Amino acid sequence: MIPTRKYLLSVLLLALFIVAGCRSGGVPTYHISEDIDFSFYKRIAVMPLNNMTSEKYAGDIVRQVVISEVLASGLLDVVVPGEVMSAVNELGIKTVTSLNARQIKSLGTALGVEAIIMGAVEEYGMVKAGSASAPQVTITLMMADTGTGSIVWSITKTRGGANFMARHFGARHETISETVLLLVRNAIKTLAY
Amino acid sequence: MLINAGNIGKWSDKARTELMIKSKRLSQYGIFRGQIIAALCALTLLAGCSNGVKYFVRKNTDFSGIQRIAVMPLENFTTDKYAADKMKSMVMIELLSKGMDVTEPGQVISAMNELKIRSVDRMSVEDMRNIGRMLDVDALILGSVETFTISRGISVSYPEASIRLTLIESRDGLALWSIWHSAGGADFWTRHFGSEGRTLDEAAREVVKEALGTLF
Repeated sequence: MIPTRKYLLSVLLLALFIVAGCRSGGVPTYHISEDIDFSFYKRIAVMPLNNMTSEKYAGDIVRQVVISEVLASGLLDVVVPGEVMSAVNELGIKTVTSLNARQIKSLGTALGVEAIIMGAVEEYGMVKAGSASAPQVTITLMMADTGTGSIVWSITKTRGGANFMARHFGARHETISETVLLLVRNAIKTLAY
Repeated sequence: MLINAGNIGKWSDKARTELMIKSKRLSQYGIFRGQIIAALCALTLLAGCSNGVKYFVRKNTDFSGIQRIAVMPLENFTTDKYAADKMKSMVMIELLSKGMDVTEPGQVISAMNELKIRSVDRMSVEDMRNIGRMLDVDALILGSVETFTISRGISVSYPEASIRLTLIESRDGLALWSIWHSAGGADFWTRHFGSEGRTLDEAAREVVKEALGTLF
């Protein structure tokens, strides 16, 4: 009797794992320069993000969340977004989403910041998995030192999709706003370590 | 109570029967208690967890000195043409209900026109100082509406609203407080029992109330 139960339990657990599937989306890919003292950075600017999605405002939305989360983390002070655009216009920078080292340095001087955050939104929206649809967002963020023009931190991260509990047991899944917020929050956390 | 099966044989039939009944009751109680715990665990998992509101407040800021505020037009990142206007009205009403003195929206627009400020997202610190002086306000509220929609979930539709608000001191253009907050999603009763959830308007009011609740 007992061996049969054990066998049944093992089969059930195996089935559960197969149904649940393996997820690797939550694991970020990030780089942080080990020879840099991040306490040096006090004030940064967040540049407009490159929008690679069909959602018209995805770049703007994620940028607002990045600004808010950097401020809320208490790690750095952030320049007012309007000030960034004024500096961009003054310096005659045409494409803010692909800056070269010289432009990064010039922006640093004009805005009085030690670093700038650039990046892209690669995915933003609802994805369909069978009959279910759930939000999914992918972002890439980079921090460049305005003194050297080099990248000192970068991260690519995805969050979203309907999880096992939501798909099969009707558990609450995140809204797209919550997905963006938690994605950015977790990305910024890697900057603190 | 511990039941030692080895001792049962030494007792009388009556005592053995009583012990068997007690044991059965205890076993039933154990199963019942286990079911309650399992149900509570499942309920917790199904209900989901909410994220705490995280916001920025500049150190050593005395908010009691801020009495008069101008709410600038909010940026609209939604597909609803009037989302920003609707949320702006909610922000103003919430500030007024907290006893703040809020500048008339018409006056804000006039000042922007006079100072040739075309869009809020391009306002420099100098523009903020000028508009603050012109409107005679202690601080400006700038922000954007990121979501204002009915989203389609796995099995149900639900309202969703998110907003970013920043309080900027008009004298030196410093951000004193900043928050990004969202509300919405299908609750437990809507998901499982089809009960009527919040409306989009209610979700929007909730997000504004909770966001400003962290400030005043």
